[in-house]
Amino acid sequence: MLVFAVLATVMLVGALGVVLLRDPVHAALSLVGTLLTLAIAYVVLNAPFLAAIQVIVYAGAIMVLFLFVIMLLNLGGEAPAPTQPWIRPAAWITGGLVIAGVAAALVANPGPALDTAAIAAVFQGSGVEQVADQLFGPFLLSFHLVGVLLLTGIVAAVGLVQQRATETDKARAAAGQAGHMPPEVPPMPPVVEDAS
Amino acid sequence: MDPLWVIFLKAFVMSVLLLGGFAYLTWYQRRLLGRFQHRLGPNRTGPFGLLQPIADAIKMIFKQDVTPTRADKFVFILAPGISVVFALVTFGAIPAGPANSFFGLDPWILDLDIGLLYVLATTSIGVYGIFLGGWAANSKYSLLGSLRSSAQIISYELGLGLSVLSVIMIAGTLNLREIVELNVWSVSPWLWPGLIVALFAFWISATAEVSNVPFDLPEAEQELVAGYITEYSSLKFALFFMAEYVGMINASAIIATLFLGGYKGPAFFDLLIPGMSEWPFIWLILKIVLLLGVFIWLQASLMRMRYDQLMRFGWVWLFEIALGAALLTGAVIAFVL
Repeated sequence: MLVFAVLATVMLVGALGVVLLRDPVHAALSLVGTLLTLAIAYVVLNAPFLAAIQVIVYAGAIMVLFLFVIMLLNLGGEAPAPTQPWIRPAAWITGGLVIAGVAAALVANPGPALDTAAIAAVFQGSGVEQVADQLFGPFLLSFHLVGVLLLTGIVAAVGLVQQRATETDKARAAAGQAGHMPPEVPPMPPVVEDAS
Repeated sequence: MDPLWVIFLKAFVMSVLLLGGFAYLTWYQRRLLGRFQHRLGPNRTGPFGLLQPIADAIKMIFKQDVTPTRADKFVFILAPGISVVFALVTFGAIPAGPANSFFGLDPWILDLDIGLLYVLATTSIGVYGIFLGGWAANSKYSLLGSLRSSAQIISYELGLGLSVLSVIMIAGTLNLREIVELNVWSVSPWLWPGLIVALFAFWISATAEVSNVPFDLPEAEQELVAGYITEYSSLKFALFFMAEYVGMINASAIIATLFLGGYKGPAFFDLLIPGMSEWPFIWLILKIVLLLGVFIWLQASLMRMRYDQLMRFGWVWLFEIALGAALLTGAVIAFVL
């Protein structure tokens, strides 16, 4: 229980840091810390496989890409003032509503909301087999659907970048001179053919 | 299972040994590179230059520690720590001998059922050191170095993950000790083609992960001064240096463990002295030293790749080849065996 209290405190501080820190890199780092603490919580709960996957996927891949984009666009220092004056109060109100909703749900239904025994049967212990049995058994359809969803996201991102690239090319051709390219994050650097 | 204090003691001893290993790896590298280039290499400090690493360490400690004014102080200090800690922690999962073989103790620190995932996870966290170090220094060269390294490491992690898939499928476990005990090559000769391709794909990916030649773009000195470590000096520089070399030791140890029999020696040595192939430590250390020699050999013989070549090779060739090896192994397991 003490361990959980410490971990929960660190996680909450990290999560607050993500929202409150001004520097985007610091906020992203705070998120990394939160995710790593979550992984430790999984280890404490005797679910090492989940912990390893959490670290590899979230902390090791996704957050590195976040930081990559932040650094590539050179976002640093103070965030600019919001363009819409109503955005800040609106964010406070929405956030407050979410917190109120979660708190209300907790008060209305104290105790675990999910079937913890079933979850423990899948994730506790060291085996990858139980997870695979569930993922490729009863949840096969949803597993594939999530895959299709991710693929849709990738295709959409590529489509957006391509569209913008052709538009800039056209604009350049119309202006007859090299214009200023908006900073973009290509999924891969352009492949330059070997000159030799 | 050893008592907790023994595990702590073993972890401490391992860290100290890796520190020494790092120091003498620099000596090994410089001597070998010297021979490759028809030079002698460092041979003045002590017999065969053996005291050179100690002299270097003393010099490094007494250097001035400069922190750039515009640097992000907290992250600037945090980054070398992340690099070195996760490099050391990775090694803890690698078994160095059969159970109870070291005077009744287990010659490993962690015997995890997800050992392989643990290794992949800690190496992927180690990237943050390089990445944040370059950013925090607030210098163009450093930032370019860290952007390059993160793009490179993310790209080659795909090859790394896919090429271990063959071993996992054959062994049916993620536990590094069980993988060694099984010896993936002994299962069936039909699996050898897939395994050989996977071995080379893994080797190349691991070379890129530790930014060894020909993938040392993050610190291409002709273009970027020293990449992400440009602004680092004194002990912080030494920590980054140490992380890099321990990373090389880790890569060698993991290649040896997954593909080359790990802590087991060749069985014919049992004819000379019974049980010799089961001796702890020596076989793993021998394999690590040989593989490090190959890494240094590569440094002496290959040229650095251009950035677009690096990306194209990673995504167009290595990824597909590693995937092909995994598919081949899977097909053999499903249809032939």
